[in-house]
Amino acid sequence: MTNTKISSIEAIMLILTIFVSHTIVSLPQNWISNQKSAIILNLIYVGIIAMLLVYVIYRLFKNFSSLDIVDISEYLGGKTLKNIIGGIFIGYFTISASILLREFCESLRVIFFPMTDVIYIIIPFVIAMFINNSVSFGSNVKTISIVLPLVLFSIVFLFFANFENFSFERMFPILGKGFFNTFILGLGNITAFGGISCIYFLPPFLKEPKEFKKICLTSIIIGLLYFIFCVSTILFMFSFFTEADEKLPLYFAARHIEFGVFFQRYESLFMLIWILEISCYLMVANRFSMNVFQKMTNLKNTKYLAFIFPIIIFGISLIPKNYAIIRFFEAQIYSYLILFIVFILSIGILIFANLKKKKERELNAS
Amino acid sequence: MNFKNILSSLFTYTPKETYNFILLEKSNSKTSINHSEENILNTKKIFPTVSINLEYVKSKYNSMINSDIVIREFIINVRGKQYSAFLLYIDGMINTDIMNRFVIEPLMLRNKSNLFDGNHDRIISEAVANNITVRKVKKFNLPEYIMNCLMPQNTVKQYSEFEKIFNDVNSGNCALFIDTLDVAFDIEVKGFEKRGVEKPQNEIVVKGAHEAFVENIRTNTSLLRRSVHNENLIMENIEIGKITKTNCALCYIKNLANSDLVGEIRYRLNNLQIDSMLSGGQLEQLIVDSNFLSMPQIISTERPDKCTSYLLDGRIVILINGVPYGLIIPAILTDFLSSPDDKNMNTSFSNFIKFIRILAAGITLLLPGIYVAICSFHQELLPTDLLYSIIVSRENVPFPVILEILLLEISFELIREAGLRVPSPIGPTISIVGALVLGQAAVSAGIVSPILIIVVAITGIASFAVPDYSYSFHLRLYRFIFIFLGYCCGFLGIGLGLFVYISLLCNTNSFGIPYTSGISPFVYTPGHSYFLKPIWKRDLRSNYLNPKKERRQEKIAMKWKYPFSKEDDIK
Repeated sequence: MTNTKISSIEAIMLILTIFVSHTIVSLPQNWISNQKSAIILNLIYVGIIAMLLVYVIYRLFKNFSSLDIVDISEYLGGKTLKNIIGGIFIGYFTISASILLREFCESLRVIFFPMTDVIYIIIPFVIAMFINNSVSFGSNVKTISIVLPLVLFSIVFLFFANFENFSFERMFPILGKGFFNTFILGLGNITAFGGISCIYFLPPFLKEPKEFKKICLTSIIIGLLYFIFCVSTILFMFSFFTEADEKLPLYFAARHIEFGVFFQRYESLFMLIWILEISCYLMVANRFSMNVFQKMTNLKNTKYLAFIFPIIIFGISLIPKNYAIIRFFEAQIYSYLILFIVFILSIGILIFANLKKKKERELNAS
Repeated sequence: MNFKNILSSLFTYTPKETYNFILLEKSNSKTSINHSEENILNTKKIFPTVSINLEYVKSKYNSMINSDIVIREFIINVRGKQYSAFLLYIDGMINTDIMNRFVIEPLMLRNKSNLFDGNHDRIISEAVANNITVRKVKKFNLPEYIMNCLMPQNTVKQYSEFEKIFNDVNSGNCALFIDTLDVAFDIEVKGFEKRGVEKPQNEIVVKGAHEAFVENIRTNTSLLRRSVHNENLIMENIEIGKITKTNCALCYIKNLANSDLVGEIRYRLNNLQIDSMLSGGQLEQLIVDSNFLSMPQIISTERPDKCTSYLLDGRIVILINGVPYGLIIPAILTDFLSSPDDKNMNTSFSNFIKFIRILAAGITLLLPGIYVAICSFHQELLPTDLLYSIIVSRENVPFPVILEILLLEISFELIREAGLRVPSPIGPTISIVGALVLGQAAVSAGIVSPILIIVVAITGIASFAVPDYSYSFHLRLYRFIFIFLGYCCGFLGIGLGLFVYISLLCNTNSFGIPYTSGISPFVYTPGHSYFLKPIWKRDLRSNYLNPKKERRQEKIAMKWKYPFSKEDDIK
């Protein structure tokens, strides 16, 4: 995997994949239920903060060109810290992939396969993961580069196709539940940019490391635009949506499209595209888990890892007893997990590693 | 002996033994080999005695039982001396007229040159110093004399190994062995029957050349040579096959093609340990990287102009003796959706057709699967009226949709295969019987629904719109997987199947070049995009090939339009 280099566009697509996948399930719904009509303003606000954070991350990475967060933690605290950080990130990737998989499959079960046990819906995804893990990282990224534009287009299409159903007055009051809720409590919505976790692993793979800043900022901007399209579609369409216990809100938005007489209802087509996107996310999570594990253990043959991680994800995804537990986990725990791992722990490690580097330089100079 | 046997022995004829042929399996125990015989047969060097050479050639070619092997013995006169000699050639492979007039006649007829019995040594230079004459003398050299004076032929080679001589004799040359010489002469007298250059059979274009490759490699190389018309066109000869020693030509333009790419292909061709190589398809399978999807990785074409176009792009062409196709290497996905006519037409027309081809590929691969998925899981997708008509049309069909579609798809493949294999006059009859009678009868009998006939027909037509046969075949094969996935899990199955398919497609390489170049990531690649730019903007070669020259034409190709502008002024 370390021999594969990816272009700047492929790197942007990789980051966006992580941003996009959670919006397909219930993430926009959580945002809207927290922020009400202020969600667009809130997203712009957290988007700007995310950009600043990413810029900080870029600056912190500058002293460690072509090293990822696991290598940097090794530099900072030796093999022990490397293994701890590696383990945390493997846990993060596998848990987030498992939760997303289970939630999406539960939704699929409700919509298409009401008589089928969810395990049989998860298994095809696991098989797809087996196959995708056995191909190269480069081809994984290329696959994402084909799929992601489709997903982005589908959301833009969803927005414009539903345009006549929109009630723009639903964005008022613009501050929703008030200033404090939008700008202070709403800061927690920065977890929407959990895809930043991918940035910590990108430097060794970049064909053009100089483009790192551009890659980070561009992906945040596109991600922000994508989020705005998503929440706008839901916010402008459903007045009491936040109260309803609907799964896959974007799917239900797709149900309202009336666009010629070619198709009665479009949501299945959207679902087809979103299945591709979820598979992309699972592929990325698997890849990074494998990469980190390989770094931790210095494994030369990763052939069997291709099977181990999908099985772990499969196992974790079966742990929650029902959909409510998954929703609870996603709304109450997962966001804090992202906040801690992606924004506190990783940035902390980068800061300390930079301080160590600075100290070393000073020592060398003296 | 009972009564019945007595009767039968008296009145019926029973042969004592019936003849049964049984091919014995090779025993595991080592059979004794006559080593001395084997050593003789494996002799490499030509003997200086003609009688030994003659015996060797006779045994090697089995001239006693081989009817078309001709060994013509005669006496040759050289400077008044007589030498025994013989010619070896294969009847039917040589031009008899050339043989008689330019080989046998000069060698056998007596003339002033070969009757001259003077000093055999030739004085090259002479110098006199202090009344002493110093002469530089070149000794008479019989092989050189024969080659230079007695063979009025344009291509004569001299070999000291039997293998090389036999190789050329098998290609249609004749070999001359002369007593006292440990070399033999290889004289080109080829003259076997061959097909003339004809119109392409499978790749018909509207605006383009109407010449196709033939079986003869030299004709094919000349076709390329004529159209490229440049001294930088290299045609390396490589022999493949221990038995057949098939001649292959590795063609590339020296100052365009990437040297690493040429080296890699040469390496692969030179390292094939096979007995025979009889077709381009065999060679293709032997030199490509393995890929799970069995995607074609080499373009096979019968059109020299297509080969020329790709050669000028920096690619490599392999021509094989006996195969009327050229193999273009490397090839990426979009190449299989392109036709030679694309570059001959107006850009907008070409791009429209190219878009139609993408649609055709998508339909071929996915339409039957999507139909099954919609019928089984996603009925809400269809407008109510259409859904109603589908339900009505399926009302009398007793089978599940998967069986119905498999029945029809397999029938369609049967008709297609039968249409290909039957003699050409019967071909249209098969199509009529298959398409009209069978289809109509199947609907009337309630075996399949009319809407399914439409789906299968559209899929079939779409598969014909894909220009490359191998790629079309690949799509036809994989559509069955999508049918199965669609039936099992609806769009979930199709989505995951498509995802895995794309992933494997992206993992494929053709001679080190990503198969999805130009598609993934879907951004502008200098010199390469599936959709064509106007011809005056096609100034760069495909950069994924890393050619030696990037620019295909000047930035201002239509100089007549901007005669006074500097290049940088126009963007």
